[in-house]
Amino acid sequence: MPDPALQLLLPARAENVIVVRQAVAGLGEALGLSEQRVGDLKTVVSEACNNVVVHAYEGEPGPLHVSADPGADELVVTVADQGDGFRPEASADGASISLGLPLIASLSDGFEVSGRAGEGTTTTIRFAFEEQSLPVETNGAARAPPEELELQIPPGELARPVLARVIGALAARAEFSVERLSDTVLLGDAVSGHAPEDFPEGLVSIAIRDGDGTLDVRVGPMVEGGGERILSTMDLPGGSGGSLRKLAASMDVERADDGEYLVFEVSS
Amino acid sequence: MAVVTISGEHDLKTAPDLSTRLAELIDAQEGLVFDLSLASFVDSSILGVILDSRRQAKEAGVAFEVVHDGETDAVGRVLEITGLRAELPVHATANAALAASGPGPPGGPTSGKGAGA
Repeated sequence: MPDPALQLLLPARAENVIVVRQAVAGLGEALGLSEQRVGDLKTVVSEACNNVVVHAYEGEPGPLHVSADPGADELVVTVADQGDGFRPEASADGASISLGLPLIASLSDGFEVSGRAGEGTTTTIRFAFEEQSLPVETNGAARAPPEELELQIPPGELARPVLARVIGALAARAEFSVERLSDTVLLGDAVSGHAPEDFPEGLVSIAIRDGDGTLDVRVGPMVEGGGERILSTMDLPGGSGGSLRKLAASMDVERADDGEYLVFEVSS
Repeated sequence: MAVVTISGEHDLKTAPDLSTRLAELIDAQEGLVFDLSLASFVDSSILGVILDSRRQAKEAGVAFEVVHDGETDAVGRVLEITGLRAELPVHATANAALAASGPGPPGGPTSGKGAGA
């Protein structure tokens, strides 16, 4: 990969942000960007540099690396430091950072902040030469919240603790008694231990809807016979006729176009 | 009322001085018109100064109005995208800002600093 067209290394100080801004603006003009687009580029790069100056080194001197690499129709700008990385902090001067990242997000065509504690932070910004049609219309339908919790996980070791905790949390929220909560977790255990072959994609797939003192659980889709097989694993050994299924207010196998579902309701 | 006009590029470097100057005027019980029309660039730290100053002015019971005449230059874009143009609100002219700040003392504005729009 060839070196970027522009590379800058300078002390991360407030008075240097304008230097970076002008350098990048010059590059933008040379690339034929419109005046408005150059202005956007200046804003985006300044905000990324501000984050370095304000947050990377806690007032100590440190380097600010900037590179700008023009492609066919976009510029990729990276702004990097060797600081301690983003850390949670309650900032008294919250305005600059709380507006800075949204400005980068709004005016660029994508950005990523990467890094880890102690190894510095790199902000990589993709900036199209021509403004994309914005703002993008938000898709209200896609953003609608699901009516229930949907969970998929590989069966076995991972599924058991995850499902136990999710079901436990939902049952506690629905104000189940401790005894009912533990019954519910037992049912979750039976589901999480079920054979992956019965799930088309090898993942246990569960939808849980919590209502007023009840949890409606839908396991599936499964291949044909999967529902009955889970039910049989719930039968207690010894031929006593006991079964975990009695812990549920109702438990049925339903068939739908996409496969078989085990559906049960647990109530407080 | 004092009219404060900034020109050129303003950012993290100039924000502290600007903040101090505006705070002094607010402390002196001056209502303020802050005119960005001649500025060619402002970053989020300047927006932070504007928001802080507006809060200080409100606490001090003095007017704080913001002016910017363009909509498509770099400053206008930032005001638009952050929603501050509507939120503050931003007036198109210093006169509109003065009118919005309510009835001043008899004789109108008592002082002017810098050129208005």
